Amino acid sequence: MTGPPVTVSRRRIMARTRLDFWLDALLLVAYTLAYSLGFTGIAVHEWLGIGLGVVLLVHLTLHWDWVIRTTRKLLLPGGRERFIWLVNLLLLVSMTLCIASGILISEVALPELGITLRASSFWRNVHDTTATVTLILVPIHAALRWRWIVGMARRFASWRPGRSR
Amino acid sequence: MRFLRHLAAVVLTVAIIVALGMLWAHASGGTGTGGGTGTGGGLKAAPSREVLQRLEQVKTGAIKIQSDDGFQANTGNLVRTCEIEAVLAAVVITVGSIRRRNRRMRRSAGVRA
Repeated sequence: MTGPPVTVSRRRIMARTRLDFWLDALLLVAYTLAYSLGFTGIAVHEWLGIGLGVVLLVHLTLHWDWVIRTTRKLLLPGGRERFIWLVNLLLLVSMTLCIASGILISEVALPELGITLRASSFWRNVHDTTATVTLILVPIHAALRWRWIVGMARRFASWRPGRSR
Repeated sequence: MRFLRHLAAVVLTVAIIVALGMLWAHASGGTGTGGGTGTGGGLKAAPSREVLQRLEQVKTGAIKIQSDDGFQANTGNLVRTCEIEAVLAAVVITVGSIRRRNRRMRRSAGVRA
């Protein structure tokens, strides 16, 4: 039962899983760095935030099937997926507002592009609050998929090129 | 094609969230210059209190505009972020493990009964 179509399909699934894993890892590292303003300095912080926004769009697009599937199943019994859905929704809202407000209060990145916006205390407060909320939600979001992360890390650790797993 | 369709849906969702944020800012009158005094059409607004405070922080070195090199920056800040994330993740993983173990025990007790 290991004909060529099965192998191709498995390889494709594995490639997609690998992409998901490394993109998620990149997002986690990028967010951790972006939150540490004292470590990066404001210029790196702002450019990293803008990059984070782009990668976040790709991440959401890759998992849009899950969003649709879980939203449809919301009314069915079973609390775990509903809790994950709620955490993910809150994370989407807080991260979107964090990045958008960060762009609106930009002091280095936007002026470098020739765009100057008027500073607003409202957006600065929104940025601070949503960054803190996101800092709480990001590890929860990752930890809720801990078994998948460990499973994938183990699989990649034992993976050898040319061997389909 | 499917990817583009999903991307469009994602962009639309993000746009709705940003629009709601803008609406919130507008409703709370927060789109102005937070303390700035310049309101004239062609005049530049005076810097707000927040901006001046931030400039002061930059001058005193509390906030760096550019890291000297990535490794000599304030690593304590990064370590603190990592610690917060690690603690929160550990709590969620522990609670999840306990819940899973309890569920398994309940299930095996049900099978025995």
